[in-house]
Amino acid sequence: MTWLFFKTLKSLNPRITKPVQRSLGVVVVTAVMLAACGGNSSQQTTADSATGAGTAQEGGTLVWARYGDADSLDPHRTTTTLSWQIFDQLYDTLLAFDDQGNVVPNLAQSYEIAPDGQSITFTLNEGITCHDGTPFDATDVKYTAERAIDDANPSVTKGAWGPISQVEVVDPQTVRFQFETPFGAFASFMADPFASMLCDSNEAAGNQFGVSSAIGTGPWKLVSWTKGDEIVLEKNPDYQKFGRPVENPGAPYLDRLVVRQIPEAQTRLAGLQTGEVQLIVNPPLDDLDSVRNDENLELHVAKNTGQNFFFEFTISRPPFNDVRARQAVAHAVDVDAAIQAAFGEGLVEREKCPISRGVFGNDQTFCDQYTYKHDPERAKQLLAEMGYGPDRPMEVILMTSTGDNREKMVQIFQSQLQQVGINAKLETMDIGTLNARVKQENQKTSGISTFDMMDWAWFDPDILHQLWHSPGAYSGYQSPELDALLQKTRTTVNPEQRKEAVNAAMRYLLENAVHVPLYTPGSLWVYATRREVQGYKIGPFNRPVFNDVKLVQ
Amino acid sequence: MTRYLIKRILGGLLTIWITTIAVTLLIHLVPGDPVQIMYAQSQSTTPEQLEQIRRNLGLDRPIYEQYLMYMGRILRGDFGTTIRGNQPVLDLLLVRLPNTLLLAVSSLLVTMLVGVTAGFFAAYKRGTWIDTTLMTGAILGISIPSFWLGLMLIYVFSIRLGWLPVSGTDLKNLILPAITLGLANAASVSRLTRSSMLDVLSQDYMRTARAKGLGENIVLSRHAFRNGMINVVNMLGLQFTYMMGGAIVVENVFAWNGIGRLAIQSIFQRDYPTIQGFILIFATVVVLVSILLDILYVWIDPRITYS
Repeated sequence: MTWLFFKTLKSLNPRITKPVQRSLGVVVVTAVMLAACGGNSSQQTTADSATGAGTAQEGGTLVWARYGDADSLDPHRTTTTLSWQIFDQLYDTLLAFDDQGNVVPNLAQSYEIAPDGQSITFTLNEGITCHDGTPFDATDVKYTAERAIDDANPSVTKGAWGPISQVEVVDPQTVRFQFETPFGAFASFMADPFASMLCDSNEAAGNQFGVSSAIGTGPWKLVSWTKGDEIVLEKNPDYQKFGRPVENPGAPYLDRLVVRQIPEAQTRLAGLQTGEVQLIVNPPLDDLDSVRNDENLELHVAKNTGQNFFFEFTISRPPFNDVRARQAVAHAVDVDAAIQAAFGEGLVEREKCPISRGVFGNDQTFCDQYTYKHDPERAKQLLAEMGYGPDRPMEVILMTSTGDNREKMVQIFQSQLQQVGINAKLETMDIGTLNARVKQENQKTSGISTFDMMDWAWFDPDILHQLWHSPGAYSGYQSPELDALLQKTRTTVNPEQRKEAVNAAMRYLLENAVHVPLYTPGSLWVYATRREVQGYKIGPFNRPVFNDVKLVQ
Repeated sequence: MTRYLIKRILGGLLTIWITTIAVTLLIHLVPGDPVQIMYAQSQSTTPEQLEQIRRNLGLDRPIYEQYLMYMGRILRGDFGTTIRGNQPVLDLLLVRLPNTLLLAVSSLLVTMLVGVTAGFFAAYKRGTWIDTTLMTGAILGISIPSFWLGLMLIYVFSIRLGWLPVSGTDLKNLILPAITLGLANAASVSRLTRSSMLDVLSQDYMRTARAKGLGENIVLSRHAFRNGMINVVNMLGLQFTYMMGGAIVVENVFAWNGIGRLAIQSIFQRDYPTIQGFILIFATVVVLVSILLDILYVWIDPRITYS
């Protein structure tokens, strides 16, 4: 009720813009007045002419408001999105992802994988300097890698670096990684912010590294970090672009990038409306129309994020230990209709593969062959075979985590399931609780069976190994056959052969209804900017990039 | 007085100690362990590595052992480091504590100013339209959730009028959160002030004061107000505790960088050292405030002595 009141109030009053950007001046004001005169009309009006009113200029500060703070600026200490989106500004990586999600050279101008797949040699670009002015060379790469896998350092990314046996500095521009066994996911990991390259001069900062000091080679330098409040970055004037998917060949155009924390989504939106901040992540999804209809604001939806929402089942007890029960659920739900009802147009897409759009190996055409079509009759038939029917509905629990319209999605699924005779009780909890709960459920052998709508994000098909190679992330479905298929995706280095291995694993997961893909992206993937922000881009895997950003003055 | 204070301080320490035990037990009852949460979403880490990390953090030990280890460190002044990010907990808390205290004190001022004034006039003008209006306002104030009130204030004063910033942690940004938190509590204070004042106004000594020819202002300020305030000050102590708690919600709405917001985040991440540190500091502040208030009573009401 209160919300309704708030919204009604908002719709009653035409939005008044604060005279922050004077150069937008007359055009915007006129546009607003016209919009106001037109009552509640929601046409796109004069957005384009508004941006044309001023010219984009270099310099200035952009304030980016997010829902939380980084945990640390040390890439070996934390893996949250809030943290690595900052790593991505401070540091650079040996390789990079282009717009299509392909791995391309970056700090390394080339790399060579040995025929046996057990070593990879990087040749670094020359003339790269760290934020403190020291040259970036092979010793910095070795320092970073050894720090990340050192048992003495509480590194949280150790596993992702793979079975490294040795890191060797061949010469200042050449560094070689040796592996105990071939490791197919390494090249893509070298393009991820978790593999951010640190400069060895960070060692001098001791415990202050990642707190008040963070020296890298990225486009932005750390000025200060007030924990819980803001991170202030300034442009790195020496930055050179190699492989990042940006146009600007050198230093960012902006002088400063300030990353602020505003936990409440409505407040973030209000800050954007007043011009206090220029970019927000995760505007309230129920209020997106107020962004779309405001000619001062622009909506950005990340694509190819590698996020995957899917059903997974507890198979430690009936009924989901029977593949027919899992297939019945998959046939019973109409995912397209649910997406339409919960998100509307243009926010999320149907995902048919267990690894999502943007990730190597994703292939909608291939996965479509094994996708369960919406077919309530088939679902009922499968249930009838198992002895369920109108007199004996199947009783299960459907769990998911809070946020981003997930609850709406499962409510729609609930009613679709009911139509074929599956009574699903809904339980929504925070993601931490859900992760623990799914694991617990997989260990129980009695009680009402559960399944859940889970989401994972990763930039490489190795995600399937993490999830499903026994014992798996949640100790759920396991089989020797699946293990063998997944092991192959990890140890195959040749791209074509790896793609085949990934296809085989995906086919197995789909045919056995172990991992039933639903949609992508769906988690913290919507951004909104003010119109004066030009050149803002969300790179692959949900990485905001500011190298090209200019402000219209 | 000294003996009383020593007793109170010892009692306070006992309260804090019991709180730490209760919190340790409670946070371990919540499903999900921090290591799993930290790695669940985007990590390729083997179960053996997770176990190793748990061992490093001491999370594989029985709860009582974890508690004893924790208390041992606390007594040496070591609050430990956050599980996520590995940062010193005490630093994180102490940077934010002044912000929360500032917000709570400012809100308390708003509460006193608005609540006591409204209650006083309502009592003085008992039964008139002023009384009715003020008390209806108070019921509204009690019923409105601070979350919603905060957003409405942002809408009016930031978006529509553009007078005040939406969020942040400096003095200009303090106004809206302090009003939000203050108004919600002013409502209950005004009702208490009213009933307390009504009680005082009907006392014989009021008639005596007037009968001996004192001016109405002096009667009200010296005789009525001061006597009526004893209950209210008592309530303000409780109010301050509510403020500290309410700050958690309001800090989130206005992005005020206080310890409440840190606490919420830590609970979601099951960051045990931060949660424990937060509770310890929170409990200490509450205990200190209640002792200070006891001293304040003596000043307000000379009839009270502690011996």
